[in-house]
Amino acid sequence: MDHEHDRSDSQRIVVTGLGLVSPLGAGKDEFSRRLSEGACAIDTVQSLDTSAVSSHLGAEVRDFSPRDFISVKNLRRMDRTSLMTAASARMALDDAGVTVSAENRDRIGILLGTSFGATDVTVQVADTLLKEGPSSVNPILVPNTVMNAPAGHASIELGFRGVNITVTHFAVSAETAIAYAVSEIKRGTADFMLAGGVDILSKFYYESLSKFHGLSPDKDGAEGARPFDVMRNGYVVGEGCGILCLESLSCARNRGARIYCEITGAGMGSSPTSPTQWPKDTQGIRRTFQRTLNSAGLAPEDITAIMASANGDRVLDAVEARAYDELFDACGQKPFVTSVKGSLGESFSSGGIRACALALSVKNKWLPPTVGLSNPLLPMNFVTGQKKEIDVKHAVLAGISFGGTYVYLVFSDYKSQ
Amino acid sequence: MKNKKRIVITGLGTINAIGKDVAQFAVSLREGVCGINDIDLFDTTEFRTHKGGQIRNFNARASIPDEFSLKRMSRADQLVFAATIEALTDAGLYPLPERFKEDMGVIIGGGSGGLFEAENFYADLLVKGLDRSRFSRLSTVYCASSADRIASNLGLLGPKTTLMTACSSGANALGYARDLIESGQAGIVLAGAVEPMCRITYAAFNALKSLDEDVCRPFDRTRSGLSLGEAAAILVLESLESALTRGATIYGEILGYGVSCDSFHMTAPDEKASGAVRSMQAALKDSGLSTQDIDYINAHGTATPANDVTETRAIKEVFGPRAYAIPVSSTKSMHAHPLDAAGALEAIVALLALSQGFIPPTIHFKERDPECDLDYVTEGARSSDLRHVLSNSFAFGGNNTTVIFGKYEGQGAAHGS
Repeated sequence: MDHEHDRSDSQRIVVTGLGLVSPLGAGKDEFSRRLSEGACAIDTVQSLDTSAVSSHLGAEVRDFSPRDFISVKNLRRMDRTSLMTAASARMALDDAGVTVSAENRDRIGILLGTSFGATDVTVQVADTLLKEGPSSVNPILVPNTVMNAPAGHASIELGFRGVNITVTHFAVSAETAIAYAVSEIKRGTADFMLAGGVDILSKFYYESLSKFHGLSPDKDGAEGARPFDVMRNGYVVGEGCGILCLESLSCARNRGARIYCEITGAGMGSSPTSPTQWPKDTQGIRRTFQRTLNSAGLAPEDITAIMASANGDRVLDAVEARAYDELFDACGQKPFVTSVKGSLGESFSSGGIRACALALSVKNKWLPPTVGLSNPLLPMNFVTGQKKEIDVKHAVLAGISFGGTYVYLVFSDYKSQ
Repeated sequence: MKNKKRIVITGLGTINAIGKDVAQFAVSLREGVCGINDIDLFDTTEFRTHKGGQIRNFNARASIPDEFSLKRMSRADQLVFAATIEALTDAGLYPLPERFKEDMGVIIGGGSGGLFEAENFYADLLVKGLDRSRFSRLSTVYCASSADRIASNLGLLGPKTTLMTACSSGANALGYARDLIESGQAGIVLAGAVEPMCRITYAAFNALKSLDEDVCRPFDRTRSGLSLGEAAAILVLESLESALTRGATIYGEILGYGVSCDSFHMTAPDEKASGAVRSMQAALKDSGLSTQDIDYINAHGTATPANDVTETRAIKEVFGPRAYAIPVSSTKSMHAHPLDAAGALEAIVALLALSQGFIPPTIHFKERDPECDLDYVTEGARSSDLRHVLSNSFAFGGNNTTVIFGKYEGQGAAHGS
């Protein structure tokens, strides 16, 4: 791996805007406040009927008003994934102070991750096709069945015409999209990239996941997901969208933009794993972590914190904890580890929302707690109970997917660079 | 900036309506073979149209001897796995030597994935109900499972992802694969795409009234829609240095790659063709070539009334008067439109054209359209010593991708047959 360490300002990529629609609120202010309080969004699912399956918990987006963000003309053409994406993209651009204009629109793009897209719309098409025949299929639904619909709708609503790509690779879709967006800006194909991920709760896929026995069977209570806890019994499905506005440091400096953090490293990897199973050994995580550190020119002891991928799954959490234990075995100072999936659930393309959480952590100098964690499966520096105030120099965003795919990113305090 | 690495293609693999492998595909392209006829993969009685470019007589067992894997693969997984083995064998990399696995990646342009199996599952579900349905049949429903199967079966440890930009997915997979090699994040990358035919997709295009009842007629005045197809296409990408070290046969080089977004409408192209113009210009700029250097354009050429006139307009805007001197053909007239796999399949067309010295024709052409007045190669294939081929892929969501391929001359160059 011969990553080049070009440290010119045009090759340094910074985060200058955050936009999100999450179970802990829409917009970074409410999200940040509730995250710092250790709030939990997990509750009994209200938006769908779960009576046919044995799981009933979810982290739903409940107070989202698309009309606040999206024009009436486009609103009715969009499904829920597209509404959340267009709203989050608008918030990210606004937060970054970027106005789309005839001069810059070809240099603004989007790289969006979505694991399941608008599965509910595809199911609706299938339903009509099977019950009523092909002539009854509503053509209005068709454009939303493609996975790249949310990114397409966002570009139409906001008017940007640059690079537009959707990544769909299960639970690392958003992390991959962010890594890809970073390389697009470095290549010079865009000045601003919106990057993140979206996924929603839908009946078909909630029932399918439940039938795969992945979900926590807990009936109620805020502690359905217990990342890294010995008592964890499965994950809780979440939903939402999180989008970063990325640009080069030179671009941000020229326009006097506020900088949340710098993305100093990225690494991708695979390990042989069945497409529906979480990896069982630590090699894939360790290999990808090392590649990521190499790309950032950092050593393990430089890492202050890890925003983990753990979601309360029996296999995933154990493998992830063991991997960090092995990776930092020789370090005197071990990093703090936290997972926000204890409060936000597992939304698969959660990397967008988690990236927003990590950017806020670096900027505001505190790490959110792992809600639901009281008996750690390994003795590590887990952030539990309440937020941890700390100067975060280099933090890692962990992306691990069933099927054995890994994407790691390093978010650094840009002033300390 | 350091000089960019030169990225070459050293292996090809495909299964499509006019080729069970690359050798047969090349012959079909020269001879103008039509692969569009009555579909029998599913019952089309209730549909408005009945034709498509279906893959016939696919023998999955020939490529996937392992019964365990075979059973767990969707039709899409099987097709793309077979194409992968062909491409690796062609590149002299099968069985895959251990030393290449560490940084070998796989980037797939995802299509409908296991939707064909999912619709059968869903039909059962409607009859049997939740509790009596075998949800394990859904394990390959999402298109990302193809890349997981490939990586897992071959033991690949490098970057892996699935890109989904509808009909430009395959072209984007090549572009991203090239970037990963250029930036040193991967050594050899398997890049390509797969699109299986299925009822839901067929119903969706029927509902949009985008399908021609007869065979599609790209650029013809009487054209009335596309012919849906299916295909798997995989290319082996690596640096020139790596190819020369291995003593590999080189089909050609990726010289340029450009992406843009219409930001106009989800399914209709922008009539001003601005998006298509910008993707071609971005690819030309990336390649460092001028409009004078392009010898052949493999058009998106779907044969929808809107696409062909818009694409023609875009080519004229980019190339000026020279547009009339450049042969432009749509091979979709032969292999039909395999949606997400089109960009990767047509990359193979471009590389065969470059390495074997011919221009494939647009077949089924009858009447000239005053608005489509370029040289569409309607009289059959031509022999021509091509140096640079430009390939367009445009998609739902307003996504446009252009890739430029160059002839490779020197040690290891593939020669015509």
